[in-house]
Amino acid sequence: MANVLIDGLKERISNAIKVNQSIGIILPGSNYPELIQAIFERIRNAPDEAWIYVTVTKPSNIFINQFEFLKETNNLRFIDCISRAAGITNAGPNCILMESPTMLEKLGLEIMNVFKEVNESTEKYLVIDSLTNLIVYNDPEIVTEFFYHITNRTRVKNIRTISLAIEDEGIDKYLNRLIYLNDKILKVRDSFI
Amino acid sequence: MEETEQVENELCQTGIEELDVMLGGGVPTGSTVLVVGSSGSGKTTLCMQYLINGARRGERGVFFTITEPLFKLTKNMESFDFYDKKLIESGMVNLIDLRIISERLGLDTEKYTVEDASALLDILRDIADELNVKRLIIDSITALCYRLQTPEMIRDFIFKLGSSLAAMKCTTFLTSEVPPRKFQYSQYGIEEFISDGIFFHGDIERKGDLIRTFQIVKMRGAAHSRTKAAMSISTTNGVEFTQLLKSRE
Repeated sequence: MANVLIDGLKERISNAIKVNQSIGIILPGSNYPELIQAIFERIRNAPDEAWIYVTVTKPSNIFINQFEFLKETNNLRFIDCISRAAGITNAGPNCILMESPTMLEKLGLEIMNVFKEVNESTEKYLVIDSLTNLIVYNDPEIVTEFFYHITNRTRVKNIRTISLAIEDEGIDKYLNRLIYLNDKILKVRDSFI
Repeated sequence: MEETEQVENELCQTGIEELDVMLGGGVPTGSTVLVVGSSGSGKTTLCMQYLINGARRGERGVFFTITEPLFKLTKNMESFDFYDKKLIESGMVNLIDLRIISERLGLDTEKYTVEDASALLDILRDIADELNVKRLIIDSITALCYRLQTPEMIRDFIFKLGSSLAAMKCTTFLTSEVPPRKFQYSQYGIEEFISDGIFFHGDIERKGDLIRTFQIVKMRGAAHSRTKAAMSISTTNGVEFTQLLKSRE
């Protein structure tokens, strides 16, 4: 059942990101493990693309330990906003550690600097995991401003973005406003398959 | 007359992309810019990056340090990717400890007389002329002003230094130390009036974290931005600027 869900998610994400510059994914917390597995498998299966995964949810080494194949995935860079807060000071070669998730300007700079190093013709993708957790660490207004800036800058550079919003008991009003800035919204439900 | 106009129109690019955009292309050649900030705000790094970027474009530069010994300065700078030892060895970037020069000139290390200040000014001009430098840094002018005993001496010193260097088409950055989170540009209140430009390094607190900020307060002869930018310092990229998020500032 889990594999069917993951395959279904992979296909849905791939199809949506092919035709839209930015997609927002709203999902219940219970589906988070399947969703990230679908995203990471999608990344592994497209070695010619360049991906940045901004994590505000879990330290990047948790993902890397959970999905062994990420150790050999060369087209992915993590920008990890929370490891430092968890006392982790050593980053792997494919990971940039941010001092704090409140340093949103620095986060924007790091994203654009990594993509600057990538060949112009390579397809570029950015995942923000998650807007929900950015709002935990920052005032919602400033996250909104950040998200406006980053979506505009990525659009100009033809970078496709996937942003996650985890909903539990209904979606926060700020989060709702933010996620709808995307070109396409995918809502993941337990009963989706 | 034509030559003067041409000099006025020339811009000295800092080589820091976003800063040049904020400046409307660069600093007008021959200007004296006060680079203001508290301790650790990135003044020295910005100045060194400006000097190194100039050397890469073939413009020779000199960095006069007063606040820290040369070995400490170079040790700090070696951690940055932009720092290129070869430019120092080739003489494109010259690092000089001003305290050693003062000692060799036999100047009082604590307080300068009018004659001392004049002798120091002469030696600075001679060095700039002899090396044919196009970029010059004094880090910091605050430490130098401390040794000049009256406001008149400070005014006279900076004015004469700026005028001589402008005639050599040399663009000068003077660092100015101010207390943290105080909206002032210098210790003595004179430096900013004689300078052509002011770059202000500050910070804002967000959820207990300090975000570096940067603002061009004035830049004579340039259609510069007045917006407050966010500043980042990293070993890989040196000083970088981006739009500051202003909600709830």
